[in-house]
Amino acid sequence: MNQCFWLENGLKNKSCMANHRVGETGLTDSGPSSHHHHHIPYAVLHGMNVPASFIHQEGSAFDFGELEEAIVLQGVKIRNDEAQAPLFTTGRPAATLEMFPSWPMRFQQIEIGSSKSGGESTDSGSAVNTLSSKTENQLEPESPVSKKASSSDHQAFDQKPMQQQLLEMASDISRTGTSQNQSAAKPPQEKRRGSTSEKQLDAKTLRRLAQNREAARKSRLRKKAYVQQLESSRIKLTQLEQDLQRARSEGLFLGGCAGAVGNISSGAATFDMEYARWLEDDQRHMLELRTGLQAQLSDSDLRTIVDSYISHYDEIFRLKGMAAKSDIFHLITGMWTTPAERCFLWMGGFRPSELIKMLISQLEPLTEQQVIGIYRLQHSSQQAEEALTQGHEQLQQSLIDTIAGGPVFDGMQQMAVALGKLANLEGFVRQADNLRQQTLHQLPRILTTRQAARCFLMIGEYYARLRALSSVWISRPRETLISDDHSCQTTTDLQMVQPSQNHFSNF
Amino acid sequence: MHYQGDSWGFYMPMRSMGSDPMERVVKLASESAVVIFSVSSCCMCHAVKRLFCGMGVNPTVYELDQDPRGKEMERALMRLLGNSQSVPVVFIGGKLIGAMDQVMASHINGTLVPLLKEAGALWL
Repeated sequence: MNQCFWLENGLKNKSCMANHRVGETGLTDSGPSSHHHHHIPYAVLHGMNVPASFIHQEGSAFDFGELEEAIVLQGVKIRNDEAQAPLFTTGRPAATLEMFPSWPMRFQQIEIGSSKSGGESTDSGSAVNTLSSKTENQLEPESPVSKKASSSDHQAFDQKPMQQQLLEMASDISRTGTSQNQSAAKPPQEKRRGSTSEKQLDAKTLRRLAQNREAARKSRLRKKAYVQQLESSRIKLTQLEQDLQRARSEGLFLGGCAGAVGNISSGAATFDMEYARWLEDDQRHMLELRTGLQAQLSDSDLRTIVDSYISHYDEIFRLKGMAAKSDIFHLITGMWTTPAERCFLWMGGFRPSELIKMLISQLEPLTEQQVIGIYRLQHSSQQAEEALTQGHEQLQQSLIDTIAGGPVFDGMQQMAVALGKLANLEGFVRQADNLRQQTLHQLPRILTTRQAARCFLMIGEYYARLRALSSVWISRPRETLISDDHSCQTTTDLQMVQPSQNHFSNF
Repeated sequence: MHYQGDSWGFYMPMRSMGSDPMERVVKLASESAVVIFSVSSCCMCHAVKRLFCGMGVNPTVYELDQDPRGKEMERALMRLLGNSQSVPVVFIGGKLIGAMDQVMASHINGTLVPLLKEAGALWL
């Protein structure tokens, strides 16, 4: 029962002062006990169930209706009994402002914010009046409190006269509640009602008070719902704005070949577009090679075609070099390739020694010289790949050490170091591409022109088949789909992959 | 005397040579079959060292970050190659091969091994 606790604490702090006030107004004398500090609270004594109700409520949902009812009834009763009208209108001490140290901050701030002297009479007036407006359900009419006198429990409020505690709390709460209830317009009316309540409460007043209470409650709920709606709409709006801005800046609407929607940098998107164009060129070159081989062109003509195919590859390495500067992760993770190609990815592209291995089996017949040349090429390629891999691993380890940071991670400084190390990734991808380029350039030096032409055609067809395999794999019929999310995923991937009909023609 | 990876062995004689870092580079390069100018924290330098070791070559490595005149030599190497990277730079038989780019290219096109054999760094 936290609220019980705070009431006790709050009241304890100011019980002296309060009881002074009580003494001023003579209330002490009228209290059920003559001991200032261990007063049995009025509410408890008179069986007000206010403590229970307002204890369990808090914040904006606080319905201090019952509290106010009880207090106003008490106020009425006290006035009637002792003709101590001024108690509630003037007796609210400045001490209220620090009365409840364990109140939620909101309340405390509100207390501090209000002037000690100026607003008091108004506030207490309004407090009384709001109190008086809530009289219906909690207590039977016609001074029920005396009937419950004996059935009270003496739990919480033993420091001060209950009505004073409740009044102070209610006035604090009502200040909050006032803003919540939009009942700022009410004080004048309540003042009138207050004067009414100084006489006996009649049925008409009770009815009016009840209606007011209901109206206030409804308007509170409406306002709460409206505010919540506004908040969620606002959040949605900012999210949409952010998405739109990001999409615009990344040039999202580039015709569907940008991969994951909204997730791609402009450098990556540009490269993906260029790569798509390059793939179309690739098909043209392969067609040229095929027809050239079939047409039994002269070596020099064939050589021209072979050279143009090598330039075609030089072009993609140049484009990759530029992309490496703007988005190294896009390259090195192979997001620009198809999934099947990505599976065999090495340093952002194909592994030259694997390519050579693939070619060896298909390039027969080869002269001994050529065999030696090809195997040497494969061997040196493997050595170079191994060296680059080891260098890359050292970079990774160094990056791990920097990010881990040892016993103390120095934030900005270590981030700067890590950034510097990350920049080295570009060098490794460039060297790997350099290796690929050199390997492709070396092939026509070892092979005859015809062999070279066949070789490049084989390379082109091999990767085209790999890409087609990706498409087929993604779009394969799966009855045992786990979830529909996968099928959504595949449609996106299909958009990423080049049109598959051209690839199938190579089979 | 020949220390792999240690430039201090040459420091005393160098003092009398004058302060031109490029001269120092050339001097050092001509004193071993395979000379790699490196920086100990550079991963690409590590890659080039692994490449030569993987081929069975025992290069002489100068870690310029551990040399008191290393900074000047790095700048000289950058000017020499016209690169933004000062290291790694490889000399074989006193002749400049280049940075990683050129080393890779020469290995793939088959010119590296003959150079190494010629310089006496490879015996196969």
